[in-house]
Amino acid sequence: MKNVMGIIYTGERDEQLKELTAQRCVAAVPLLGRYRLIDFPLSAMVNGGIRNIGVIAQRNYNSLMDHLGSGREWNLHGKRAGLVFLPPFLTKENVGVYSGFLDALHANLHYLRRSKERYVVITDTHILFNPQFDRMAAFHEESGADLTLMYTRDPGARRNGLGRYIQVQEDGRVTALEVDPTIPHLPCTYLETLCIRRELLIHLVDEAVSQGQYHLTRNLLMNSINGGEMKVMGFENPGRAWQIDSVQSYFDCSMELLDQETRANFFPADKPVLTKLRDEMPTRHMPGSLVKNSLLADGCVVEGIVENSILFRGVHIEKGAVVRNSIIMQDGLVQSGAELQYCILDKQTTVLPGTRLMAPKSYPIVVAKDSTV
Amino acid sequence: MLRKKRCVAMLLAGGQGSRLGILTRHVAKPAVPFGGKYRIIDFPLSNCTNSGVDVVGVLTQYRPLELNAYIASGAPWDLDLVDGGVFVLPPYQTGATGEWYKGTANAIYQNLAFIAQYNPDYVLILSGDHIYKMDYAAMLAHHESHHADATIAVRQVPWDEASRFGIMNTDANDNIIDFEEKPKNPKSNNASMGVYVFTWEKLRKYLIEDEKNPNSSNDFGKNIIPAMLRDGQVMTAYSFNGYWKDVGTIESLWEANMDLLTEKPEIDLHDKKFRVYARNLGMLPQHIAATAEVDNCLVTEGCEIRGAIRHSILSSGAIVEEGARVIDSVIMPGARIESGALVKRAIVAENAVVGRGAVIGGDEGLIAVVGQDAQVPEGAQVKPGEQFGEG
Repeated sequence: MKNVMGIIYTGERDEQLKELTAQRCVAAVPLLGRYRLIDFPLSAMVNGGIRNIGVIAQRNYNSLMDHLGSGREWNLHGKRAGLVFLPPFLTKENVGVYSGFLDALHANLHYLRRSKERYVVITDTHILFNPQFDRMAAFHEESGADLTLMYTRDPGARRNGLGRYIQVQEDGRVTALEVDPTIPHLPCTYLETLCIRRELLIHLVDEAVSQGQYHLTRNLLMNSINGGEMKVMGFENPGRAWQIDSVQSYFDCSMELLDQETRANFFPADKPVLTKLRDEMPTRHMPGSLVKNSLLADGCVVEGIVENSILFRGVHIEKGAVVRNSIIMQDGLVQSGAELQYCILDKQTTVLPGTRLMAPKSYPIVVAKDSTV
Repeated sequence: MLRKKRCVAMLLAGGQGSRLGILTRHVAKPAVPFGGKYRIIDFPLSNCTNSGVDVVGVLTQYRPLELNAYIASGAPWDLDLVDGGVFVLPPYQTGATGEWYKGTANAIYQNLAFIAQYNPDYVLILSGDHIYKMDYAAMLAHHESHHADATIAVRQVPWDEASRFGIMNTDANDNIIDFEEKPKNPKSNNASMGVYVFTWEKLRKYLIEDEKNPNSSNDFGKNIIPAMLRDGQVMTAYSFNGYWKDVGTIESLWEANMDLLTEKPEIDLHDKKFRVYARNLGMLPQHIAATAEVDNCLVTEGCEIRGAIRHSILSSGAIVEEGARVIDSVIMPGARIESGALVKRAIVAENAVVGRGAVIGGDEGLIAVVGQDAQVPEGAQVKPGEQFGEG
């Protein structure tokens, strides 16, 4: 994979995640006790042998920068290649806020030009899946495609009124694309991940933006598929895919991954998901505590009851507190006698003694970062 | 010439630790896992980082592979620096000679050139045998304010154990007036912790002289300290009152692990101001299954708990299957306890497998041990005090 570079877009699609994206972009949304969404595509690129990776940031990228640092945890801090953080910047042509992914790529053409790899894989961060970038790149090269789109047939990734769907012929050719249909008509869900020759991408981006087109999918891909001049192929990515586009989908995805088999399939032992480290001690289960079917990161202290829940690093559940079907992010404190049901507590939240937060399964409550309830 | 440093630390990590039996058959003692996600050497290395000591030489000799790989660039302890950091220092060949480290003093002697590069004021000598959190900066300040040539950290031990240690007798100003190595009738219970600060020029002088003496066993406790005392050098004792535990034996290693399970452990690993760092394996968060029963345990990342665990330490990636029971035990990284097995008062070393229905240890007696990578067959028994594994 020496000949492939990666670009991760972290910009759009966070309207429905409410408080979870109030202070961070969707790429930096914490997941499963110790990860953030960007860890998944980033680790998949590293595991697939990609060494030159650009991360395009748009808004609220403070947490993202803090998380990625120099890229050390992903082995991307070397001299020869590594992580390139691409924040928006003001120039004569560029007003800082991107009008779309194409616009973002256009603003970073210098990075694309400077890179040496023959191919680029581009991905986004609001779908959780295990992209097999190496296999997609090999498929792209063998099939002689101009563009290869990664898709899934996992029904869990489909949404009414949202998402991108494609028609893939038996020979692998993509013949139709639809964007945010009220009801999806086309059978395959496009994972907003594609492979293209770097120089072709530079050409297409420049051409499209100079014609006032700023959206990668709506403009560039739609034109390429409908125009008929380009060979657009589909690559089916195996395994599960979850759209993280609402509080409900975030919650449901987390709960599905509590299941041992689902989790084992999603985290194959030979493809570790890498993330920023925090030196916490092991989690302490105190006498009298009760934990059932839950994921717990390090640094927690559990004195109360925890069931079907996910505890991030440094969470403290005091004696007499009851946490069920909930997600408690980093350094949360649930004080004695408090009770939680179907709640998502963002980082550094305190639930005072005796407080009861009981939500229905179909509408989990989100408590914003740094709140005291 | 590198930039001058105030203090360089030298960590003696060459010993086998033979009293740990099968646990150090394949790894040096400082690399033995501790407390779920640490290794013994994490404690002195983290102490250095927390004390602002940023040049650490680690002297290795016995089975250094795992220790070298563990330390690597030193990044987990913030010891990957442009002008310092952690360095692994094995014995080496010189033109005509070259030899193994003959003793603790000889190990430092062979690396005088390493220390000299930094032209330090002080040299801190540490060992990789103890679990403790200590601010070496406070000890250095003590050394400076006493205008000492050598400062020895001491800790009060129970009188009946004093004869196992090097005992310091001091005057009212903390000056050491007498030192006895493992005395039959100790005059005090101030035991040496094996942590020394030397003024660099004095240390160099005494190490060179000691090396010339063919009858010396080239040991700090037996030779260097007594020689300096004889010559009337200023030697002070620095009292340390925090948790400190020698983990040189199976029983003491087990006990030190169990100390982490008291209601308020004497050694606080949660303290954010004085972190104990470790190389992190980046595993998934632990999963406690619906079938699991967890009571008073330390469990860490990568663990899959489906059985019953009580008053035990479960290290990175340990698996306890449904129907297995683990009580009063230490399960080291990657070990697997299969269904129906019972592990009680035992240490199960890295990547070992305890087969279905096997019984390890018992209600009382000495601690049972299953060695690294060992596979206890289905239904087998390892009695208290026994060690199972490749001999």
